Amino acid sequence: MTHPPVDFTVIGGFLGTGKTTLLNRILAASRGVRFAILVNDFGALNIDRALIQHEDSKIMQLANGCICCSLAGGLVDSMVELMRHRDAIDHILIEASGVSYPGRIMDFARIDPDLRPGLTLVLVDADNLRTQSRDTKLAETITAQLDSADMFVLTKTDIASPEQTAWTRDWVAERAPHAPIIESRPDDAMLVALLTDPGPDAMVPDVDTAHSVPADQPHSAAGRASGHEDHAPALHELFSSCAMTATRPIDETAFRDIVGRHSQDLLRGKGFLRFQTRHAVWQQAGRLLHLDDADLDETETSQIVLISSGDLAPVVAALLDIGFAAFGPQKQRYQEAANSAAR
Amino acid sequence: MSDTTVFVARDIITMNASRPHATHVAIRDGRIIGAGSAEDAESWGPFTLNEDFADKVLVPGFVEGHAHAMEGGIWDFPYVGLEDRWDPSGKRWRGAQSLDDVIAVLKEAQTGLDDADTPLFAWGFDPIYFGGGRMHTGHLDAVSTTRPIIVLHSNGHLLNANSRLLDMAGITADTNIYGVLKDDTGKPTGELMEMAAKYMAYKQTGNPFFGGINLYSLQRYADSAVNCGVTTATDLFATFNETSLAAYLEASQTPGYALRLMPALNTIEQSVEEGIALAKRALQDNNDRLHHRLCKVMTDGSIQGFTARLKWPGYHNGKPNGLWNMDPESLAELIMGYHKAGLHLHIHTNGDEASELMLDAIEAAQIACPRPDHRHTLQHCQMADASQFRRMAKLGVCSNLFANHIYYWGDEHAAITMGPDRARRMDAAGTALREGVHFAIHSDAPVTPMAPLFTAWCAVNRQTRTGAILGPEERISAADALYAITLGAAYTLHMDHLVGSIEPGKYADFAVLEDSPLQVAPEAIRDIGVWGTISGGTPHQAAVRSG
Repeated sequence: MTHPPVDFTVIGGFLGTGKTTLLNRILAASRGVRFAILVNDFGALNIDRALIQHEDSKIMQLANGCICCSLAGGLVDSMVELMRHRDAIDHILIEASGVSYPGRIMDFARIDPDLRPGLTLVLVDADNLRTQSRDTKLAETITAQLDSADMFVLTKTDIASPEQTAWTRDWVAERAPHAPIIESRPDDAMLVALLTDPGPDAMVPDVDTAHSVPADQPHSAAGRASGHEDHAPALHELFSSCAMTATRPIDETAFRDIVGRHSQDLLRGKGFLRFQTRHAVWQQAGRLLHLDDADLDETETSQIVLISSGDLAPVVAALLDIGFAAFGPQKQRYQEAANSAAR
Repeated sequence: MSDTTVFVARDIITMNASRPHATHVAIRDGRIIGAGSAEDAESWGPFTLNEDFADKVLVPGFVEGHAHAMEGGIWDFPYVGLEDRWDPSGKRWRGAQSLDDVIAVLKEAQTGLDDADTPLFAWGFDPIYFGGGRMHTGHLDAVSTTRPIIVLHSNGHLLNANSRLLDMAGITADTNIYGVLKDDTGKPTGELMEMAAKYMAYKQTGNPFFGGINLYSLQRYADSAVNCGVTTATDLFATFNETSLAAYLEASQTPGYALRLMPALNTIEQSVEEGIALAKRALQDNNDRLHHRLCKVMTDGSIQGFTARLKWPGYHNGKPNGLWNMDPESLAELIMGYHKAGLHLHIHTNGDEASELMLDAIEAAQIACPRPDHRHTLQHCQMADASQFRRMAKLGVCSNLFANHIYYWGDEHAAITMGPDRARRMDAAGTALREGVHFAIHSDAPVTPMAPLFTAWCAVNRQTRTGAILGPEERISAADALYAITLGAAYTLHMDHLVGSIEPGKYADFAVLEDSPLQVAPEAIRDIGVWGTISGGTPHQAAVRSG
């Protein structure tokens, strides 16, 4: 019996950046996804006792199907143990200590076909990064985190001064220019939405209805919560999004170039692509990019959805240029942006 | 009244400054009544004279301040290291001087395996001196193409796999992961390093070293200790759970158990609060042969694995700085917590940035909560410089130096990791002595063989495997080295009132030697024969060496 690969996400960031808080929220709003969370100390997770079905020193099983595992025996042995139960897991989340190298942890998913490499999300403490960046004891690990992150989440912006937050944002952007930097908000619904966002299969039926949200009202609930039983908002409801299609085959190199160049604006991108030489499934989240071979009908059109916390116009404009058409109320605006870019 | 036994010996080196040498030592109830002359012996009342060791030399039972009980169990797996070693039963495992030797050992080992697909593990592999010839899948495929084979390197950093294992793990020329080493044609060589590659290997076979200790391994550990004259030994990175705690207790209560065990709680396996509670609960188990109270902290990695944290200028060959095991801030909080709880910290620090961080943390803990006699110990403490030793002396911090490293990896450190200057101050026993730091020297068995006389030889001679003398200024005298493996080590464990010297009231724990470490030439200290030990007054003969 073969199982689909287990999604694999690494959440990095220094001590006190809010990783545990984020993991708590994910566990609380797992949306039916059976997460396995590997943490150094699951006592720190403060799980509601009523939800715990079974607990020993290494593992804790929750009523919602999620499990928490201790990393105490080391990541290698913990992962070996965990993967013995892979049929009970949909998605593994690793809490990387502030001094580990997230990229080396993501290598687990790159080497193991039973795992699917997902996001490397690095949390950055807006209140503390300036101090941390000057600590020689942390220099290499800061670099490693900057290099391996697909996306950054700025935390503690409610404590940090606006000047500190701006400094932190600039400092990160300068050193990791292609990764999106999003600000954590009190309920972090967006991060949960990001980690539980379904793949392109769940998206396609919606393409025609184009749940496109005006970029100037990114948090309006204009879209409809498709594919989810609960009331938690889906990713495209929280950010501006745009659906696009192309009837003619797309140049893969040009496409890769565009989504690579604009990765800092692509919180999420997904879809089916009919390239000139092959068909592919596109999955992107910041710097994380998958373009896997897909088995599609020859006549199939390319269908994609883009979701951004920033400005989608430049990337949409670039895609219009290589043969895509946009849907929804923003079509006009994107078209104009494309025209002005062409001029 | 219990019986008194008097042992007579050619020489009894007591390490008691007020009576350094004796010929007779009187024992009652497992403890020492006194040491002295034949005349003195008469004064202790009626006794049975034991003349079995009349031609031997008695010294205080050696204290191994940094070793692991895994030394007992690991010999169930074939050893393929460079030098001859003896397992707890006395069987000699011949050093593998070439890749052909390694293959021969593995071929022999697999004759004991039932099925053609049972995994085969070996350990201690050390390819440094094979003239650049690296082991690859072809070598191990000559052993078996049906069973997965894993050969662990002695540096703890790498392992070798055969083609069968690579196939099972799906590792091919297309695998582009850091840690999967490849040859010039892009084919994986079978050498794997880093977590991800090791994970893929153990995912196929399981990790046979994962199980932890049990009564059997503790028994074998005691056998190994007897063979080299050790009567008190740590298990310096111990998972505390029901199974392991029960095993320690049962071993310590087994009649004839030849060792005083000192497990050190692995502090990174649980939160600080839980760890402190575990360590304190374990104190209830303490008895004459079991001494809980030690807690182990890991800060950085290893120097030869380039994972130790170094101060500027870093690695001699320009490799990036190493890895912290935990956030420096969390490490400092951990030190504070255990310090305040009155527990005894043993802190792994290989690089000088790690020792500096820990000295800062202990200083802060001492200011917050002064403990006049904490004896927290920097373990390995290999790269500390003179200024750090001065701080240790001020702060009451001890060090336990990895003297065996000088022999096993000294050449590599001078040439590659530390460079010719810093390598001279590795495991600086001379500096520790000059600066007044209480120190011990250790083997870290099974990383290197447990054999305090060899460890003393290393500290006295500082001779590397190729015969070079690494930092002659850091050599210490035989007397100081003997102190370091007895009373010095006992001090770092807070056991110097119970063991480490032959003094009235202490446990009657002796190492029985064929010669005096203070009489033989310094270069011959490692060759002194060990008859065995006397533990709590009971003689235990070393296993007869065979093979």
